[in-house]
Amino acid sequence: MPRLGRPFLALSTTAVSLLALAGCGSSGGDASADGTPAAGGPSSLAGQSITVYSGQHEQTVKALTADFEKRTGISVKLRSGDEAELANQILQEGSASPADVFYAENPPALTVLEEKNLLAPVAPGTLKSVPATDSSPQGGWVGVSARTAAFVTHLGTAADSAPPASVRDLATPAWKGRLGIAPAETDFAPIVTRMIKTDGTDGAKKWLQGLKANAKVYNSNEDLSVAVNSGEVQGGVVDHYYWYRLRDEKTAAGTHSKLHYFTKGDPGALVDISGAGILKSSKHQAAAQAFLAYLDGKDAQQLIAGSQSYEYPLLSGVPGKAELTPLDTIGTVVPVADLGDGKASLQLLQDTGLLQ
Amino acid sequence: MSGLTITDLHAAHGRTPILQGVELAVPDGALACVLGPSGCGKSTLLRVVAGFHPARRGHVALGDTVLDDGRGRLPAERRRIGYVPQDGALFPHLTVAANIGFGLPRALRRDRSDELLSLVGLSGLGRRHPHQLSGGQQQRVALARALAPRPELLLLDEPFAALDAALRTDLRAEVAATLRAAGTTAVLVTHDQDEALSFADTIAVMRAGRIVQQAAPQDLYREPADTAVARFLGEANLVPARIEGLQADTAFGILKLTANAGAARRGPVLLRPRQLRLSVTPGPGKVRTRIHRCHFRGSDHRVELAPESRGLPPVLIAYTDTAWPPGEAYVEVDGLAHPVDEPTEPLL
Amino acid sequence: MTTPHRAEGLSPLRRWRANGPLSPLAPVAFAVVALVVSPLAFVAVQAAQAGWDQAQRLLGRPVLATLITNTVTLAAAVTFATAVIGFGAAYLTERTDLPGRRWWTVLLALPLAVPEFVRGYSWVSLWPSVHGYWGAVLVMTCSLYPLVMLPVAATLRRTDGAAEEVSRSLGRGPWATLWRVTVPLARPALAGGALLVSLYLLGEYGAFAMLRYTTFATAIFTEYKLGFDAASASLLTSVLVALALLLVGLDAWAGRRGRTTRAGSTGRSAAPAALGRWRLPSLAALAAVVALSLGVPLYALGYWLVKGDSTSLPPASVWSSALTTLGYAVSAALVSTAAAVPVALYGWRRGTWLARSAERAAYLTRALPGIAVALSVVYFAIRYAQPLYQQPPMLVAGYVILFFPLALTAVRAALAQVPPGVEEVARSLGTRPLAVLARVTLPLVLPGLGAAAAMVALTASTELTATLLLRPTGTQTLATQFWVYTSGLAYGAAAPYAALMVLMSVPPVLLLTRRALGSHPTPETPR
Repeated sequence: MPRLGRPFLALSTTAVSLLALAGCGSSGGDASADGTPAAGGPSSLAGQSITVYSGQHEQTVKALTADFEKRTGISVKLRSGDEAELANQILQEGSASPADVFYAENPPALTVLEEKNLLAPVAPGTLKSVPATDSSPQGGWVGVSARTAAFVTHLGTAADSAPPASVRDLATPAWKGRLGIAPAETDFAPIVTRMIKTDGTDGAKKWLQGLKANAKVYNSNEDLSVAVNSGEVQGGVVDHYYWYRLRDEKTAAGTHSKLHYFTKGDPGALVDISGAGILKSSKHQAAAQAFLAYLDGKDAQQLIAGSQSYEYPLLSGVPGKAELTPLDTIGTVVPVADLGDGKASLQLLQDTGLLQ
Repeated sequence: MSGLTITDLHAAHGRTPILQGVELAVPDGALACVLGPSGCGKSTLLRVVAGFHPARRGHVALGDTVLDDGRGRLPAERRRIGYVPQDGALFPHLTVAANIGFGLPRALRRDRSDELLSLVGLSGLGRRHPHQLSGGQQQRVALARALAPRPELLLLDEPFAALDAALRTDLRAEVAATLRAAGTTAVLVTHDQDEALSFADTIAVMRAGRIVQQAAPQDLYREPADTAVARFLGEANLVPARIEGLQADTAFGILKLTANAGAARRGPVLLRPRQLRLSVTPGPGKVRTRIHRCHFRGSDHRVELAPESRGLPPVLIAYTDTAWPPGEAYVEVDGLAHPVDEPTEPLL
Repeated sequence: MTTPHRAEGLSPLRRWRANGPLSPLAPVAFAVVALVVSPLAFVAVQAAQAGWDQAQRLLGRPVLATLITNTVTLAAAVTFATAVIGFGAAYLTERTDLPGRRWWTVLLALPLAVPEFVRGYSWVSLWPSVHGYWGAVLVMTCSLYPLVMLPVAATLRRTDGAAEEVSRSLGRGPWATLWRVTVPLARPALAGGALLVSLYLLGEYGAFAMLRYTTFATAIFTEYKLGFDAASASLLTSVLVALALLLVGLDAWAGRRGRTTRAGSTGRSAAPAALGRWRLPSLAALAAVVALSLGVPLYALGYWLVKGDSTSLPPASVWSSALTTLGYAVSAALVSTAAAVPVALYGWRRGTWLARSAERAAYLTRALPGIAVALSVVYFAIRYAQPLYQQPPMLVAGYVILFFPLALTAVRAALAQVPPGVEEVARSLGTRPLAVLARVTLPLVLPGLGAAAAMVALTASTELTATLLLRPTGTQTLATQFWVYTSGLAYGAAAPYAALMVLMSVPPVLLLTRRALGSHPTPETPR
């Protein structure tokens, strides 16, 4: 084989050795599980290893796990991905899942796992450190950080000078052709859920039909933020942090958009929770509980508050970034129980044709 | 004792039967030819012998070794049977020398391939690649490659078909000489009767999956089993006759037969074109004909005659040494007539 | 019947079955096909878990009809456009006197080096008006036409121009010759390329989402992403499988009609057709294709690199990501190619219905959305191969399942070039089947194997969905790093990763244009 033989052989050797390198990261075989953080502090768990499936902003989570590893000696294997895909993965893995902790961007992904009885109860001490409304009423997962729905507008447009006071306004004909939404994002469904709660299913359906008539539909909040900034549409419903992250990328000079909030009490003035839960199948319950306790502890909350993810910490006494509008002036956290697993809002979105 | 023996061989492609009871014997060291029209199954026969196609039932043996009995078969690579396909199928990625040495142990390759290259007249071309050779050269390499491991039997599947006429004749003669010199038993498959007649010691005529006749070339030419075989081997004058014992009563008068035909009956007798003698004067046993056409073929003249008496086919063919101008001629018969029957089974 | 020789035991007869339909090749080929079509089993198992009511609600929605129409019209338009551009580009570079033909071949194949998400994003960010149906047609055509161009160019290069010359001598003009001789000659290659393109379009989601065009795959993703409902998603996926079956059947039909005779063996290429006054328009057309398919994404990449505020020298980890990417891409390429050989060989040696069906079944997986394939690998691996779960072999297996059709197509094309009969001759020379494979068949198809491996390596190195789900925890490839940054809106920081992906893809593309097409016929120089 004169022609391809040599390079092929060399390449395959390279490939095998690279894979061997990649594979030797997996180890660990500790067994201790009593369900609560060890009394003597997490240091007794040093040397253990937990796997975290995370759908959260990776750079921030990386900083958190590094800090956690340093403080406790527990090593963390971080698996970042899209939260919905990770939830689907855990559902397929079932009880054999290698995941110990699932850290999600939105409650529905956690609620689905809780409903399928895949989550272990979070230690009461951890649950108590954040407001009760920020966690699962059943105690299967705990809130970690918050963000809020907002309305971003292109500078100098009518939308910017007269932003909507309520999401309900966006369904009126006045907004025809000026609006962008990203209904496929996991952040959008909670607003629909909230509308169903406040205005009833029919009211919510009418509202969605109005939105459908008015809005250009985007694939993601990222795309929508960029579209508003470039003036493709006048305004759009996004979570607040997308604007801050885009501003960091585009710098002040490249930023042609501004953030507005809906009136407090409006279904659009929605505060969304990121949370974390422990897999029932985890063989490292104690270490996993320690990680959750850490996330809602002062150190982690301060890290979150200071990070480039622009999220609000949940622990009282830890202030958010100074440039962020204080959370309590924007809105209230919807009780997680009201959000459920989002199936009702999904069906409504599908029925109105905003989602396929 | 070596030699190929095939008895009651059946084979099929899927549900289509191809071979339907083939009987064939090729003596050790003989050059045999399987002659038949396209589609008669002769290539399949070769492929069964080579081990590329399974027999459904029957028996194929080379010397004492059973090759295939419909239930078990010896893998092709253990049969010691060389194979030269129609287009040579040289390995395009190997040099000529490597092609020839392919079936040899590494240590023997160089010497033996040099030896065979000179045997087929291609000395010095060992380092070429197949695409740098002419068609004739490619076929010689294919032959050398098949001969290199000294097979007990060589199979040639229309190996000269793709070559032009002059080259074909030369190469055929060369190959026959090469094989005789090497003492190799060989089976050549072809649809070209000239090739068969000039190449083989024994010819088996195949039709519709069966061997209808096997004989030495002269015997087959003169004494074919039926009218179809007669026509297939060359031009034939089939003259109606009343046949009885050793005699045939024809328009040419009473002719002697090649063999005792038994009880009286009517049927055609075969007279090859060379058996018809032309003259300008009438006489006993002569038939008056009009010369239709005469053309020169190099070695002889082919004359088409329209007989004027009844009881003869509309056209007779004669090969003569001299040219015949248009006009009349009288025809008489030289040699023995051979009684032939119409074939009993379908021709394809 | 009895035979005189059997009793003597001189003949070590093997049961003829040993070389018959059940040769060792068959079990290997069927095992590979079973692995590759395992996602279909996963989809069936999951879909069966959806209740009847759920099925009625999901499939009874009027929007589904719209989505199927969207999918089919898009697939039809893009397949047609890629066929026209792919054939046109191949014809111009192989059969005409176009200036700089070899350079054009390379330039026209290079869009394969551009990752799908880079392409999609580049269009959307530079021209927001590129969206919807025509936006999707434009972007997908730009990205997929090389899948048609490469096999057609390879076919044209291998067939000598005799048929075209005969056509001209029979009084047919250049256009009539093109239409009545050259196109039919290339038909099997065209059909094969078009099949890959159309199957891919059925399951594609990410690019369409960016272009704001909804297809059937959109509905499947909604079920996964917002419903967390694998059963409903699988139910919908089975509709895609049905569509894919239709396409594969169509290809079988077209392939049968278009079976061409053996390539010319003279090794002489036809005298190139003179373009004459068509020269400038042809050059302009090719330049436009290259500008749209290669220029736009490269421009966008450059723009991010220069203008993005988050652009910084990438951390040292970019090199380890690059090495990881390389390792997986090469492994996937080697394994896919090795797996494709027995399947293609089985189909090639035995043209039976069974062999052909096995070969075609392997294409069905290509129509599944990446997430369905990835979840299927998760499902089977955690149940039946637990020790390998989230280990490197699992990701490689995922890539193999996803990209097997690409490898199979290339290996099939290579096998079609093996002169008939050489394997049998080799056997008759006393060579055992495995040795025949090693000494004759594999050396002959080696260039094709190179093309297969390059194609898989290219595609695998930019794959994202399955990589995120199947990689060992902690493993970072260039694509996952790119995704991490873009999902944080840090396009500048993401750009170096994309640029590196493009750079790494250039060598396989060069290999492809040389290996898949084969050398230009030059009979006088020995190899």
